[in-house]
Amino acid sequence: MTKYNIGILLILSLVGCMQSSNKTEKKITASGRQAVLPDKDSMPAESIFHLTDSFQTQENIPFTLSMLKGKPTVVGMIFTNCTYACPRLTADIKNIADSLKDEKEKVNFLLVSFDTKRDTPDRLKKFADEKGLNKNWILLHGSEYAVRTFSVLLNIQFEKDAEGNFSHSNLVSVLDKNGVLQYQKEGLGAVHTETITTIKKLIQQR
Amino acid sequence: MKYILTILLLTGCFDVSNAQQKKTVSFEKKMLKIPAGNYKPFFVTKSNKPIKVAAFKMDESAITNSEFLLFVTANPQWRKSKVNRLFADSNYLRDWESDLVIGKKNINIYNSPVVHVSWFAAQAYCKWKNKRLPTVAEWELAGNAAPKNIKYTSLTEYILGWYKKPNLPVLPNIKTTYQNVYGLYDMHGLIWEWTFNFNSFISSGDSRGNTEDELKAFCAAGAINVVDKSDYAGFLRFSYRGSLKGNYCIANLGFRCAKTIE
Repeated sequence: MTKYNIGILLILSLVGCMQSSNKTEKKITASGRQAVLPDKDSMPAESIFHLTDSFQTQENIPFTLSMLKGKPTVVGMIFTNCTYACPRLTADIKNIADSLKDEKEKVNFLLVSFDTKRDTPDRLKKFADEKGLNKNWILLHGSEYAVRTFSVLLNIQFEKDAEGNFSHSNLVSVLDKNGVLQYQKEGLGAVHTETITTIKKLIQQR
Repeated sequence: MKYILTILLLTGCFDVSNAQQKKTVSFEKKMLKIPAGNYKPFFVTKSNKPIKVAAFKMDESAITNSEFLLFVTANPQWRKSKVNRLFADSNYLRDWESDLVIGKKNINIYNSPVVHVSWFAAQAYCKWKNKRLPTVAEWELAGNAAPKNIKYTSLTEYILGWYKKPNLPVLPNIKTTYQNVYGLYDMHGLIWEWTFNFNSFISSGDSRGNTEDELKAFCAAGAINVVDKSDYAGFLRFSYRGSLKGNYCIANLGFRCAKTIE
């Protein structure tokens, strides 16, 4: 075989290789469903801000979790038709807010609803008004998919029953300014001394 | 000499990719229609009504390593070296040789269910296929259907027989256990499978009794409320799901996708 022939072979094989990698690239763009993450590199790997699904707030504003960046966040998952556990969980988080006094302005309070059907932004707005939750509170409505993913990230179990109500675990979670889960406390009416200490520490964090 | 080396290298490369291509060329996975039905939750809930499950479509078999390779090829963020630990723990695709190589030593698992995949990875795969993961109710409804091509006394006996056996060193290929009356392969006997709402069963080793329904299924006297007390296999499935986290990648846990019928 001459050098010339070998050269051609080489080129051919390289072209073959390049073509297959081109195909791959095309597939990525064609599928298009994998959303590109915003400033991914500045986020810690464990940040739940990597979840890019869109939610709606009680003011009917589109919301992604990365919008919580910059303040620590206290999170609860609830549904507003809940007669027993949820008002108590909301009250627990409200108590945490009250204990923070002036510092509560430096914290996000986030409630995400399990009830993708009934808890529309309007319904959540009413709930916020009834409970006296001010502008530091963000109440989110999301797709079944987004809410389930959120619950999985925070290890919160929930199940919808035949009547459309939910059994769920009662967890208060604390995220740092970059969306990394730092603390969780299970239980209703739990003693939240440590939760509050954690939040205060996270407020100081740069 | 240099040339020959280069060519050897290239052909070597080609051989591998050709071999993989032969294995990975697959037609669109067959989906089967599962008729609407009522699914009785395994344990008594407050309302204790059977859950109505609408008719849906389900992959006839679990997703294989070859099929999953196509997915990670097209979605670099799901490669072993790139995946976010939040979405898959360090056991993700543990048996694969590298990002895009299942490996020659693994030649027998190309057509076996992909395992060591997280819930997030399974979700992303199904989404990529324009499908979704089945719900627990859908999966259980589909999985409870009777086998049609094996001899068995009861499905529970069959499943418990499988649970008793230790994991085989090499996971068998898909379609090697049994087919049920819907035409689905290997619903039991090969792997455990992820479901969309796997985190719906309220039980966990460290919960402090603040979740409403766990007592009903787990405390000794409470077990009276379990719907089918002989369904020990179901009990195990539910407690297994309850022990999982979304980024867990486990040796015998894979998935198949479902689709809503519009």
